[in-house]
Amino acid sequence: MSTSQVIVAGIAAEWMDNPTSAVNDEARQCAEDAALAALVDQYAGALYRVAFSVLRNQADAEDAVQEAFVRVLRHRDTLGEVRDHRVWLIRIVWNIVLDRKRRAKTRPETDDVADLARVLPMKGLSAEELAAAAQHHAHVLACVDQLPAKERQVMMLSAFEELSSVEIAAVLEISESSVRSRLFRARNLMAGLLNHERNLHERSLR
Amino acid sequence: MNSNPQDPMASESAPEYVLTPAEETLRLIASLPAPDGLEDRVHAALNAVPRRHRVLAWPRALRAENGWMRGAAAAAIVFVVAGGGWSVYTRVQLNQPAKVIVMPARMPNAGGFSGAGAMRPPLTLPGPVAPEPAKTSKAKAKAEKKPVAKRNPTFTSTGHGQSSGTSAPQH
Repeated sequence: MSTSQVIVAGIAAEWMDNPTSAVNDEARQCAEDAALAALVDQYAGALYRVAFSVLRNQADAEDAVQEAFVRVLRHRDTLGEVRDHRVWLIRIVWNIVLDRKRRAKTRPETDDVADLARVLPMKGLSAEELAAAAQHHAHVLACVDQLPAKERQVMMLSAFEELSSVEIAAVLEISESSVRSRLFRARNLMAGLLNHERNLHERSLR
Repeated sequence: MNSNPQDPMASESAPEYVLTPAEETLRLIASLPAPDGLEDRVHAALNAVPRRHRVLAWPRALRAENGWMRGAAAAAIVFVVAGGGWSVYTRVQLNQPAKVIVMPARMPNAGGFSGAGAMRPPLTLPGPVAPEPAKTSKAKAKAEKKPVAKRNPTFTSTGHGQSSGTSAPQH
């Protein structure tokens, strides 16, 4: 159990154990704020990475993280009932970013390339290599975007090494076997897409 | 995912898993660090959210710890709903005869167009009415009957040369 879970569980247990004591609303609110602050400190980075992997824009990802925690703030009464806060928070931010992505489909792909070139690690890479790497990653991401939504979502979540297949299943609210089968299909589809793109590129060079 | 230590089944099923280019890219993006000061900005955003103050709070006797009050409230609601239903049931008379409006059978006008069973045939303007033939009695009709020309016996004996010559116009 992580530290934030311990804190939240401890606060929730305190509320449960002393129901008839004179715990006024202000004290309860302070406890909720402390629990929420602990969640922010522990999971804001992970949520940001999840958001960025979908939105591929720093500002949008940060907005999504803030919106996720604002939602948690609104439902802070239920914090004590949540078993796994990490998966719960990732599910919240996942729904937010999918919604935002759906609404902002008109963004040109060139923005993605420019954003990637800005955020990619550039150790030991020249400017040309960095631009080529960004171009390659943007091309791969364009192929990822062509995947069916179900397969694409599983593939994106599987990129997070801290998420097991059980947790991915919990985030997407599907079974673990569905996660595995979708991931298998996604890999096959991606291989086909990349081969197709490669063939087209070679033909154009001839 | 398969290289995830938290997922032992995946690592058993595919121990020598090779990342595809797509997964390499996705993992690279997934491993990008969060910008500095993200937590502070989130804290600031949370502090800026207006808090809902509870203007009306449940009285202490009705809080969660007092289950008997909730039970009593639930019982009262059930009582009211059931009583209301019973009162409606007793007021409504069952087995009432159905109110059937018997409509008179419409007979089509003799000689006219039928209404095709329409309940409200449109009021049409009175058009020209064909004059009915004057009714005459049988006796009068016999009297007025023109006498049929009797055949001339001379024509019958001599032939029909004259009659045909007078009746047929000659051009």
